[in-house]
Amino acid sequence: MVDDRQLARLLVRVLNLEGHDPESIDPEAPLFGNGAGGWGLDSIDALEIALALQEEFGIVMRSDDEATRSAFASVRALTRFVQQHAAQEPGRAG
Amino acid sequence: MSRLPLIEPYRPDAPLIIQGAGTVSQAGFVAQASALAGTLPQARFALNLCESRGAFMLGFAAALLRGQTCLLPPDRSRQTVSALRASHRDSCVLADFAWPGAVRVPPPAAGARWSDAVPTIAAAQVATLAFTSGSTGVPAQHAKTWQQLAVHARLLSGRLGFAGASIVATVPPQHLFGLETTVMSAFAAGAVSSAARPFFARDVAQALAQADRPRLLVTTPVHLDALVRAGLELPELDGVVSATAPLPAGLAQAAERLLGAPVHEVYGSTESGGLATRRTVADAAWLPLPGVSLRIAAGVAVAAGPHLAAEVALADLLEPAGGGRFRLLGRSGDLLKVAGKRMSLADLGQKLRAIPGVVDAVVFRPTPAQGDGLVGRPAALVVAPGLDERQILQALGAAVDPAFLPRPLRRVARLPRNDVGKLPQAALERMLGE
Repeated sequence: MVDDRQLARLLVRVLNLEGHDPESIDPEAPLFGNGAGGWGLDSIDALEIALALQEEFGIVMRSDDEATRSAFASVRALTRFVQQHAAQEPGRAG
Repeated sequence: MSRLPLIEPYRPDAPLIIQGAGTVSQAGFVAQASALAGTLPQARFALNLCESRGAFMLGFAAALLRGQTCLLPPDRSRQTVSALRASHRDSCVLADFAWPGAVRVPPPAAGARWSDAVPTIAAAQVATLAFTSGSTGVPAQHAKTWQQLAVHARLLSGRLGFAGASIVATVPPQHLFGLETTVMSAFAAGAVSSAARPFFARDVAQALAQADRPRLLVTTPVHLDALVRAGLELPELDGVVSATAPLPAGLAQAAERLLGAPVHEVYGSTESGGLATRRTVADAAWLPLPGVSLRIAAGVAVAAGPHLAAEVALADLLEPAGGGRFRLLGRSGDLLKVAGKRMSLADLGQKLRAIPGVVDAVVFRPTPAQGDGLVGRPAALVVAPGLDERQILQALGAAVDPAFLPRPLRRVARLPRNDVGKLPQAALERMLGE
């Protein structure tokens, strides 16, 4: 089952975030917005993240779903979302 | 003073908006817009922040009926909203979410009150002020009258087949391209607009499934790329329309294959509106809309058309391509002239992106500081995880004259694209200076 570190590594890889060290990030830091300590991601990054989760875990995201909206809060929230949804949908990777 | 209908052709019981699994009729919409108009505060401008296209259209129509001008904010950030309210003091705010002091606009309801007569708007009323995102410099405002918007919608519709079609879009209605293709197409050209604002591929599939055929998808290269890569099975499509940034030919081909529908691009600007189209897989040249003419005056391309009050200078370099068509050569401010040699920034950017290992790149001209002796030397931001600056410059130096090599060339993790995929000059300069 995926954990915060693996998910952070996935984000750093698919978003080309060279400045972020996946081993030392704060899993509670906000992904979006320009607040201090956040990742500063934008809506185009959200599209990339959705594609990566589909590719890696077979999860198809929908924006009208409350679970999806809250999943983008932080690495931890996204990890929890993957843990809950990868189990229910046929995954291509694990 | 001449007046034009809010909706034309007006067919009271025909659908105007697809709202979830139902539709809002033209007459139902008119009744709700008239009711909302009566509750708006007295103001000259209405800043329309509504996220849902249905609420946006209701707020827009209500403001028009009150004689107000809709401000189309380039984004919904607090800074943008306060800057617009400061520069347009006599304004009210319309929103379909909680916003301090805003008039709350409800989504248009399906089974609403009936209205047999269509209200009219003064043809010369300034309907919208659009603000450029600043990829060519400082933000500027551009006014469109109701007549200009309506005339333009019919030109574009004639080319792209909006009449009688359902339109699903990933672009916001506040962007002029989004307004023309998804709002004015419904008010002035007989299209039915989906209120949905689909984002992920699954959302697009769902919004398309709720729309009757013929159905068109209005999108941008960034969203189309994500849709193609997701590879989901989509309801049958009858056409795709893309704008806001150049669509790579390879992506257009992949999209046509996956979606089984022609992909058209619209060329234009916030100043001029959409001016020409092309089917990207079939033609590199652009065909102007009927009545639109382009000519070169004193080295600058200018456009005229039935929807423009005066000629508009374009920021691009064009050349005639026969049969009334034209080819785009890049932005005119982009032409680099060094030691008698010429090259466009667009061309240089393309050569940079073609280097193996370069994922994304942009070449631009930083605003020169006063007394800067290096005017003309371009700068570059490059995303290339496996290469260093020296290797990139070496590879580029093999393809272009050394006089054109960008300085500085900075490697970055990602380019500062905004939410329609554009690269505002200010953001590029900020990143270069970091």
